[in-house]
Amino acid sequence: MPALSGELVVFTIASILAIGFALAMVLQKTPVRSVLSLVVTFFGLAIFSIQLAAPFIAVLQVFVYAGAILVLFLFVIMLLNLSQEATEEDARPIQRRLGFVAALALGGVLSGAALRAPMPKGVAPAITPLADEIPMIGRLLFSDYLLAFEALSFLLLVAAVGALLLSKRRFE
Amino acid sequence: MSPTLSAALEGLGKIVFIWGVVLAAMLPNLIWMERRIAGLIQDRPGPNRVGPFGLFQAFADVLKMFMKEDVVPIYADRLLHTLAPFILLVPSLAVVAVVPFGSRIPLFGREISLVVADVNIGILYVFALASVGVYGLVLAGWASNNKFALMGGIRSSAQVISYELSMGLAAIATLMAAGSLRLTRVVEYQANGTFLGFLPLWNCFTQPLGCIIFIIAAFAETNRVPFDLPEAEAELVAGYHTEYSGFRFGAFFMAEYLNLVASSMMMTTLYFGGWSFPFLPHAGLAGGLLSIAVFFAKTMCFIFLFMWVRWTLPRFRFDQLMDIGWKALLPLSLLNLLWTGALVLLKVI
Amino acid sequence: MTGALPGVAPMAVPPGAYLVVGTLLFAIGLAGTLLKRNALSIFLSIELMMNAVNLLFLTYARMRGDMAGQMIVFFVIAIAAAEASVGLAIFVALFRVRRTVDVDEIALLKW
Repeated sequence: MPALSGELVVFTIASILAIGFALAMVLQKTPVRSVLSLVVTFFGLAIFSIQLAAPFIAVLQVFVYAGAILVLFLFVIMLLNLSQEATEEDARPIQRRLGFVAALALGGVLSGAALRAPMPKGVAPAITPLADEIPMIGRLLFSDYLLAFEALSFLLLVAAVGALLLSKRRFE
Repeated sequence: MSPTLSAALEGLGKIVFIWGVVLAAMLPNLIWMERRIAGLIQDRPGPNRVGPFGLFQAFADVLKMFMKEDVVPIYADRLLHTLAPFILLVPSLAVVAVVPFGSRIPLFGREISLVVADVNIGILYVFALASVGVYGLVLAGWASNNKFALMGGIRSSAQVISYELSMGLAAIATLMAAGSLRLTRVVEYQANGTFLGFLPLWNCFTQPLGCIIFIIAAFAETNRVPFDLPEAEAELVAGYHTEYSGFRFGAFFMAEYLNLVASSMMMTTLYFGGWSFPFLPHAGLAGGLLSIAVFFAKTMCFIFLFMWVRWTLPRFRFDQLMDIGWKALLPLSLLNLLWTGALVLLKVI
Repeated sequence: MTGALPGVAPMAVPPGAYLVVGTLLFAIGLAGTLLKRNALSIFLSIELMMNAVNLLFLTYARMRGDMAGQMIVFFVIAIAAAEASVGLAIFVALFRVRRTVDVDEIALLKW
């Protein structure tokens, strides 16, 4: 049992938040509420990222994922006016229940495998306060990961143009 | 006293101070100030009944809002309808946590730096919160189950996310000059140095284009005139807060003023030197208190600017608004980025 | 991969806890993908799976003291943005033709 510390308390709260709202997202009937539950889940994940010494990634999660991508989802849901899940009766109840059990089993198998796998031996951590890692991210992006970075910018351009073309109305 | 406990108390004291100043001292006075300035500009008295010079008008307004009936439309999503104003409120309150409102104060035998949380992702935290604030607008429009409210909500959020881009790009130029994302470092950079020999090294002098872009984008982000079409009464009934009354409408009002305060604080910090003023000392107890006063004075100047523009200019049509955001501000902010990059490279700033 | 994490304190929370949370979120996302009928909800569950994997990457990056994990997460987030925009554009175009996003109805490739 690890010693009780502020970090452990924050971790517990964040994990309850993340897992609870992820379940809520899957179980909700309306897509709008699913999106909002996912937003809260992403906040929980951002808290995890801060605890894992990745504050830049944490703020990217909130800024890009929760603040832009999910807003896009919300816009599309409102545009298509999807206020309900399909309300017809369940055509395949057995498949639904089996699927639920299978997902549960898979979750258990993955957790067990992750816990039993040999933990990586890392650099021996020194007990010093967290140095500024953001300049290091910047340097890495423009040296080791430069090709990936430029390819990513091209990908975003293609995605933007593609989205515009796909959703254009064709006036006959 | 153990170091953790004293650090916690210090943080708590700072939070109480800054929230106390913003919520208790600034907010009621902002409501009064807006109406008096409106009166001055429109050549009429403005509120002058409630208390000396009408200073207690804010309390009268709040009391009225509490007394009104709280209506929720019948097919509206109740939970989201209730939640929306508070989603809009929280980011503005949280932004003041990273703003440095003074230099340092020696108290109780230690130097207290006057910022609640000196995070190393300073400016990104502010933008992340601003982008989460969009949810309040969209949900208010959607949850009201009303066509006009939905139109207002969608237009408002489209406006906010469009101007967020230019605002972010303009702010990046200030970070390039300061060399760090921390807001304390940005202010310290502006406090120590001169530009062209006689001007202080404030970013409004070294990057005037970026400053103008940021101010215009801040007007659009806070839904203030001339960008307030989504909540204009002549256009969309009342936009996204059509179906709100009583306390929740008061929450929207409060959120708008808090957004105003937060934007003014950001403008002061990024472009106008934060708590610094040329030829004034920053060290010691007197210097620290002086820096707090300077910071709030500058913030009030910008709030006055917001209000002055509101009662002076007409509003933009929505397509004009989007044109300005995408076709004018975005290329100009990229130009500003090039300009600042050139200055940094040539070691001028 | 270069770049060691600058000096950090040892983890107060055991890394196994992060791994369990990550895999649980992945399983929940998988359940959502398989069991939902609304195409947008399926897409949301896929996003949840991607974020669970991001969490795992960050945990391992922290354990190894290597920045590579954080860089991968950075790229995953940006790619997810591109994917979401194109995917939603496809849904919008599909909706215009079929008037529904229920995946049981959009069974065009069935024999």
